[in-house]
Amino acid sequence: MNLTARIRKQVSEQLSWDRLLPSEQPVYVSSLVYSFGVLTLSSLMVVIASGIVMAAKSPVWYQTSAVGEYFRSIHFWSVQAFFFFMTMHLVVQFFMGSWREGRAFTWVLGALSFGVAVITAFTGYLSRGDFFSQWNQVQSKDAFNGAGLDGFFNALNNGQIYGLHIAVLPTILIALVGWHLLAVRRMGVVPPYPVENNTDAKVGEES
Amino acid sequence: MKRTYPYPDAKRFPMKDFDMVKEGLLGLAVVTVLVLIVAAIAGAPYRPAITNQQVAVQNPVLIEQTALGDLAGTGTMATYGPPYNNGTGSTQSLAGFSPETWWGTPYPLNTAMDDVITPLSMLASASGNSQLTKALHTYQAAPAATQAKWNQNLSNALNKATAVGATVKLPAGNYGPVAYMMNLELQLARSGLLSGALTRETNQGVYRWDVQNNLLFLQGAALTNIAGARNMQGGQWGINHDEQAYPGPWWLTPYTFFYQVPPWNASDSGDQMAAYTAGALFMLLVIVPWVPGLNRLPRLLPLYKLIWRDWYRDENNKKKKKKLEPNAQ
Repeated sequence: MNLTARIRKQVSEQLSWDRLLPSEQPVYVSSLVYSFGVLTLSSLMVVIASGIVMAAKSPVWYQTSAVGEYFRSIHFWSVQAFFFFMTMHLVVQFFMGSWREGRAFTWVLGALSFGVAVITAFTGYLSRGDFFSQWNQVQSKDAFNGAGLDGFFNALNNGQIYGLHIAVLPTILIALVGWHLLAVRRMGVVPPYPVENNTDAKVGEES
Repeated sequence: MKRTYPYPDAKRFPMKDFDMVKEGLLGLAVVTVLVLIVAAIAGAPYRPAITNQQVAVQNPVLIEQTALGDLAGTGTMATYGPPYNNGTGSTQSLAGFSPETWWGTPYPLNTAMDDVITPLSMLASASGNSQLTKALHTYQAAPAATQAKWNQNLSNALNKATAVGATVKLPAGNYGPVAYMMNLELQLARSGLLSGALTRETNQGVYRWDVQNNLLFLQGAALTNIAGARNMQGGQWGINHDEQAYPGPWWLTPYTFFYQVPPWNASDSGDQMAAYTAGALFMLLVIVPWVPGLNRLPRLLPLYKLIWRDWYRDENNKKKKKKLEPNAQ
């Protein structure tokens, strides 16, 4: 079969505008907890926007100028907001059993995004350029070394840490979050547990 | 007209109008405004980085003790092991499994040469200090036993020494050239040039991306004392505590927890153990959909009833209505 035609057919079916940007939702979508996902994404956008400005102006700027300090504060608080909403999103999705009915991979992508976000934020803490960075660089070196990651990562090499923080890890994170969003839109939000039937739908089971 | 359904299972449920773009824009606006306001009011945590110069001014004895430990090979970093050198002092291993050692020494550190001899040689050359050149030559030419004797004598003396102005006051003793070398190391640190000399080494002559040797010189008592006063040491929940009252990276709590309890905090390989435990727990989170018991836990807990309370209420009402309908007929 024509590979191009096959991909086009699958994408146009599974990622149709009706799925990507639906103007309708099932009636059970009626709770504030559904906002945690969009608030996580919104926080991430503020994190990225403030981070781009900081990267463009350099670590010296965000440590020594008043405007730089304000952008560092924006970055700091948007990261706090990002993790708060992401954690709430994760907890709520767990209690909703949101991996049901063919959505297991969506869960995996979300969990991986969480893990990559934690590492990205950690390299950010090491890039602050202050005592907190110094201290956690020398502390974390023992953890990275002990875990056997010393061949790949030197926590005392600012060039490596900064490169990972502003380029490598955000690229992976954005790719994972984007994929997670597509997966959510492709399958739609998980339905409530059945009212009477006490048996769970099996993972991966299509309705 | 044939009805189209946005999702595979949407046909099972009635639909309602929903403006996703509006919700997204509203979320972005709310978060942006909140963050801008909090950032303006609260600022962000920051404590200027510690330098060797500051330590040299505030605690001259500590600089000499650190440099002497590096010269004598008794300091933590001198015997650390991979990835810095061939020691075994800080090598972690779980039942013989020690991947830390697999990579050799990709970030080489010879504390005596890198932290003391080379910086002092540079100082002697730059300042034309022939006495320092001679002291370095004397030390390097001396037998190991003599070096060890000088180092030990000075180490004992430093334990009781006090700083007088810019120098450390020592009792008379047999320190060979080491006391003079340590004094010059202290003066180099006081001038602010020691950090540059140390950082220069780990960058192999190129720009200063890598601050390894400078941080490893500071990493002992100099940084530990400051961190301890701020509850930032590993056994004090470490990185969870940021400066002042600012929230730290609280999302690392499941990881830092291990450092508070045995067996993690009691083991010489606690870092390795904590890293693998955290990794295993994270993998468990990733594979929750396939973990028997865990994947059914949400069903057993009543929280989903709260989240979808409107839906379940409507469903119950429908059922009640259905029951009543036959009676009404």
